[in-house]
Amino acid sequence: MEKRKTALFPLHKESHFLIFCILMVCLMGIAMFTAMRMGSVEIDPDTIQGILVNKLTSREYYPVTWEYSLESIVWDIRTPRVFTAFIVGAGLTMCGILMQVLTKNSLADPYVLGISHGASAGAVSVIMYGYLWFLGGYGTMAGAFLGALISITLAMKIASVRKKITATQLVLAGIAVSALFGAITNLMIYHTKTGSDKVKTASYWMMGSLSGSSWEKLKYATIAFLVCFALIMLLTRQLDVLMLGDDVASTVGVNTDKLKLMIILLATLLTGVIVSVSGPIGFVGLTFPHITRSIVGTKHRRLVPAAVLVGGTFLVVADIISRVIVAPEELPIGVVSAFFGAPFFLYLIRKGNKKAGG
Amino acid sequence: MKLNVENVSYSIGAKLIVDGVSLGVEEGSFVGLVGPNGCGKSTLLKNIYKVYKPDSGKVFIDGKDLAQLSNKETAKEMSVMQQENNVEFDMLVFDMVMLGRYSHQKMFGTDMVSEGRIVKDALAEVGLSGYEERSFLSLSGGEKQRTLVARALVQKAELVILDEPTNHLDIGYQYQIMNILKNQDLTVFSSIHDLNIASCYCDKIILMKAGRIVDFGTPEEMFVPEKIRNLFGVDTEVNVNPHTGRPNIVFYPQ
Repeated sequence: MEKRKTALFPLHKESHFLIFCILMVCLMGIAMFTAMRMGSVEIDPDTIQGILVNKLTSREYYPVTWEYSLESIVWDIRTPRVFTAFIVGAGLTMCGILMQVLTKNSLADPYVLGISHGASAGAVSVIMYGYLWFLGGYGTMAGAFLGALISITLAMKIASVRKKITATQLVLAGIAVSALFGAITNLMIYHTKTGSDKVKTASYWMMGSLSGSSWEKLKYATIAFLVCFALIMLLTRQLDVLMLGDDVASTVGVNTDKLKLMIILLATLLTGVIVSVSGPIGFVGLTFPHITRSIVGTKHRRLVPAAVLVGGTFLVVADIISRVIVAPEELPIGVVSAFFGAPFFLYLIRKGNKKAGG
Repeated sequence: MKLNVENVSYSIGAKLIVDGVSLGVEEGSFVGLVGPNGCGKSTLLKNIYKVYKPDSGKVFIDGKDLAQLSNKETAKEMSVMQQENNVEFDMLVFDMVMLGRYSHQKMFGTDMVSEGRIVKDALAEVGLSGYEERSFLSLSGGEKQRTLVARALVQKAELVILDEPTNHLDIGYQYQIMNILKNQDLTVFSSIHDLNIASCYCDKIILMKAGRIVDFGTPEEMFVPEKIRNLFGVDTEVNVNPHTGRPNIVFYPQ
C-alpha cells in the first residue's frame, strides 16, 4: 500500500510547540501594551511604563511628569480592563474545550449552547432582586453559576437523543436555551429598570462588554480562572481519552461519570464567573480551540495552554478594536467577536456537512 | 475459568434483553458468541465490559467480582474492542494507541520512553509499523481497526472482549484481524457474525437466541444444519474445510 504522509497539524515537535507558546506570550504582551495606549485618550509608552513601574513598586521610581488624570486612566481603568479581557478570552476558550470534549462535538461552546445566556439571566436576577445578599460581592457570580448550571442541564437534556449528541440537536438546543434565557433576562431588566438605563443594561447582559472592569472583579475572575486551569491541566490525559467516546473511555480505565461531572462543574463555574464580569461574549470558545487544535493537535496537555494564550490574546485585540473603531464611542465587544466568530461557525457547519456527505 | 458470567439479566425499558445468562471462558481459549441480530449478544458483552450494569447476576474475572473493581483496575484485566468508533477529533496513530496505556500510567513520573516502545511494538504486531505519525482519520477501515487492535493490545490485559469488531470490514481484513488476535497469548471472547470465521478461529462456540444461551460446544458440535436452521432459519450443508479441517458451512438459498 502506498504511504501517504498527512500533515495533521504542523507542530509535532515539542520544541516547536514551546517556541509557539513563547511567540504567543510575546504577542500577548504587545497586544496588552497596545491596548493600554489606545482609546479615547492616546497615551505615550514612556508615561505608561512610568505609571506601571511606580504603581507596582509603590515608589516614585520614575519622576512624575504626567497629569494625575492619566495615572487614573492607566492604572484604574485600562490595566484591569486589559487583564480582564485576557482572562475572559482565555476562560471562554477553556470552557469551549471542555464543552467540546463533553459533547464530542467541535460546535459546542458556552455561547452556542446557551449557557452564557443562562449565566447572564442568573447574574441579572441576583442584581435586580438581590436574593443572594448574604454572599456579598460573590452574589452575582453565584447567581451566574446557578444560571449556567440550569441552562447546561437543560441544553444537554435537549441535545441528547438516545445518549448521543448530534450536531443538529446541539445547535437547536443552543438556540432554544439562549432564546429562553435571553427573554428571561430582558423581562427582568424591563420589569425593574427605568428609562435609558434599561437599554444600557440590557445590551450589556445580552452582548457583553468589558467597560465595567475593575480590579475587584478582575481579582475574582483571575482566581477562578487559575484554579480551573490548574485542575484542567491535571485532567488532560483523561480528557484525551474521553474524546474517543464514553464507552471507550470507560473500558480504557477512565471513571467517566466522575470525569463528566467534574467537566460540567468546571465549565459552569468558569462561565458563571466570566459572564458575571463581562456579560456573554460569543464565539470565542468555539473559534480558538478549533484554530489552536489545527496548529498543535488534539492532545490536551498542549492544546489547553496554547489555546488559552491564543483566545486571551484575541480578546485583548478585539477589545482594542471595540474601543477604536467608533471612537469616542465604544462598541460592545460581543459585536467584534461575533464578526470574527460567526463566519467561522458557518464554516464549521459547512465542513461538518461535507464530512457527513462524503 | 478466566471469565465467569453468573446468571446475568438485563432489560432495556420493559424488554428483557439478556435473560439469566451464565457462561465461562477458559484461560487461553478463543470463544465465539453466535446468534441472530437482536438476540442480545452485544448487550450481554456490554454487561461484561461494564458499559451496562446487570439488573441481576455477576461477572467475575479470575474470581474477582467486576462490580467491585474500579474502571482502571478492570482495564488492566480486560481490554475491549468495539466497531470502529466515530472520532470527531483527529489524532496521530501513535497517540491513539497510547491512549490504551491510560490505566498503566500515573499522573506524574511515567517513563514515556518505555511506554513509546510498547506502542511501537503493538503497531508492529498489527503490521502498522511506520504509521505512527499518520492521522487516524485518514486511514482505511482496515487500518483503523488494526490501530484499535493495537490499542487493545497495549492495555496488556489477558482477556480481550470483541464486540462485533470486523462487521463492516471486507473479508480480507476480517481474516487479518482474527489472525492477529489468534497469534497473541490471550483469552478472547468475541461476538462473530460470519459462521465460517467463527468455525475457523474459535475453540468453543456459544449459541445465543432471544436473550438466552441455547447451546455451547466445539465448532464441530455446534455447526450442524439443525442448529443453524434453528438459530438463523437458513438451510445449510456442513462439510469439512480441507485446509483447516474445521466445519465449513455452505448456505442454501430458499
